[in-house]
Amino acid sequence: MRAYFKMEFFQFMSNKKNIAIYVILLFLSCYYALKIAPEYDPIEKVDVLEIEARYLTREEFLDNVVIREGMHYLTAFAVSIFPEWNEYDKARLDAIEKNNLEEYAEATSKWYTYSDKFTFESEVLYYNPGYYTYGNSYAVMDGHYAYLSSASRYEDYTEGKSDLSVNVFEERTALQTLQRLLHSYLPLILLVSCILFTVDIVLKDRQNPTLLQGLPLSDWRKLIVKGGVSLLGSILAIIPLLVGLLIIGSQYGFGHFNLPVPNYSFSEDLFSTITMGEYLIQNLLFIVVWFFFIISLLLLVSVMLKNEFANLLVGCVFLFAEFIYFSRGIGIEWNAQWYPTSYVQVGQIISGYRNYLYVSDALSLRSGLVVMGLCTCVFLFLIFLMSNHRKFKLL
Amino acid sequence: MIELKNIGVQFSGKVILKDVSEMFNQGEIIGLVAPNGTGKSTLMNVIMNYINPKSGKVILNQKLEYTNKKNEVKIHQLVSMMPDQSDLYNQISGKEHLKIYSSMWSSNQKLIDRTIKELGMTSYINKHTGTYSLGMRQRLCFAMQIVSDTQVMLMDEVMNGLDPTHVELISQILVKKKSEGKTIIVASHLLENLEKYADRIFFIKNGELILVNDLSPGFEEKKITTVRVTRMTDEIKEKFSKEFPKTNIQSLANGATLIDVRGYDAEKLGSIVEFLQENQLTEFSFGKVTLNDLYSMYYQEG
Repeated sequence: MRAYFKMEFFQFMSNKKNIAIYVILLFLSCYYALKIAPEYDPIEKVDVLEIEARYLTREEFLDNVVIREGMHYLTAFAVSIFPEWNEYDKARLDAIEKNNLEEYAEATSKWYTYSDKFTFESEVLYYNPGYYTYGNSYAVMDGHYAYLSSASRYEDYTEGKSDLSVNVFEERTALQTLQRLLHSYLPLILLVSCILFTVDIVLKDRQNPTLLQGLPLSDWRKLIVKGGVSLLGSILAIIPLLVGLLIIGSQYGFGHFNLPVPNYSFSEDLFSTITMGEYLIQNLLFIVVWFFFIISLLLLVSVMLKNEFANLLVGCVFLFAEFIYFSRGIGIEWNAQWYPTSYVQVGQIISGYRNYLYVSDALSLRSGLVVMGLCTCVFLFLIFLMSNHRKFKLL
Repeated sequence: MIELKNIGVQFSGKVILKDVSEMFNQGEIIGLVAPNGTGKSTLMNVIMNYINPKSGKVILNQKLEYTNKKNEVKIHQLVSMMPDQSDLYNQISGKEHLKIYSSMWSSNQKLIDRTIKELGMTSYINKHTGTYSLGMRQRLCFAMQIVSDTQVMLMDEVMNGLDPTHVELISQILVKKKSEGKTIIVASHLLENLEKYADRIFFIKNGELILVNDLSPGFEEKKITTVRVTRMTDEIKEKFSKEFPKTNIQSLANGATLIDVRGYDAEKLGSIVEFLQENQLTEFSFGKVTLNDLYSMYYQEG
């Protein structure tokens, strides 16, 4: 079995298609690090001019407003909330001036909590204009999530677990960039790579049938070894991506594994934080489980349909099916937690953002592992039954 | 030893193998001879279980059958088939191929170097097989099977693309393997060569396995049984029949004429030579029916 693994792995690594995938990933990683990452413009950034402008406008208002009976209710409302709001903005400005980042973090955390308290469900106050672009119908929801998430993140910064910097606040460091990518398209890229690695892992042997058919190894074991090679190859796809992280790290710092990652709880509508280390390990675990799922699925399709295109199609259907049914708030109605396809956005599942979007508390790392694990077991059981049938031929 | 019991194979209603039963023993080289597409490879594929026969079974060492996948692995530990040269991995070296086969069958690693040396592959074995000529590839495939060192070896067209020196070399190795107790089944079109080392040769026709000795009794005997005349006109044949009415004469599709002289003494043989000389026929030889002749008789006549 070891010899067969060695042979399969060598073939895997010398397969031109697989080499091309690694090269493309390396290119994308470098392109992202050198071109896209420097242009990252977060909505929630450390913008002294903006804070100052807001502070001075409100301060001027408070200095000049005449408080009298019968004044407009909105004027009264502003008079009641602006002082505390400005207190936080002033503290932020002072902290920046003193370059005291912990104080800035503390004031900013309070500022976000306070801002959200009055903005969410308000008809006159708005979140950062960045959320209202491109006709975003969910701007308020996005703003609400971002403000509370930022409040939680900044609160954690005050605990002094890791070195602080503006780059950390704006989530530009290498680890935070990785976290942001895991929250968006990186899982999809890794899973598509896994599909591409696996589509021909069984069927390529049709090009060398007489060389391989008579090997003294059962078809089941051959398939398991092939799956193992594909899994290892898919995990190795992380390496070209690390090159990009090294480039980002050299520009903006690498960040720290103790940095906080906000975690949303739907049932309590509250944020807590987990460390970056925990977040990355959970992501890695979930992505590896996804690899298991995809590989076992494609091995099953390979032995059933014996067609690479069918493998590609089935793999992509499982990966992109969520786009067909996903709509914000649909979770409760659709029981989306029972579909493995609902767990593609690995980073969003772990951070709880997917629950926020589905308006459900059912999607979690745990439920994902159970659903994906069960599906993988079913696929493997079917492969076991088929490959052990007396008349089954792998090639 | 390997036993075939009532093997029947049909493809799209066409009978390829019909109730084939035969036993191949240890320390025996079996030759399979038949025109292309008559079932040689199918028979080997059935022995390897690459094809499920419609009926019958293959039994190894009187106990192992392809009844389940576990047994299939056990049989494949003991029975191997030479790979086709077109199936080699072009991007890796010949030595890598040998290492793969050796480790897959957990055979003695020393066999690798010994086989490379025996087959004269030292100068190119570390190069990628994509750079090999047909003969080099063929030798590598043969070497792969030798290093797998299984009890039963199946070789389909083993001599393809080889020059006479290497044909001879491989023939010698086959004889050596036979002396080690291996059962070797060879399908080949090099009939003269096959005749030299095969213990039993089978023709396949109409799905049946026919022992050559049954077609031509005395085929294996080392006596003069036949006078082989290269060119003999119909007129001379007629004349011959009149002069030797009790002697059987047979014309082959390849142009040769065989005169059956089984049991003839020196005097009788002398009179036949005299007749041939009188009729200006100088190209003739004494011996026995060759495999080529039998092939011609069996497959090329009607």
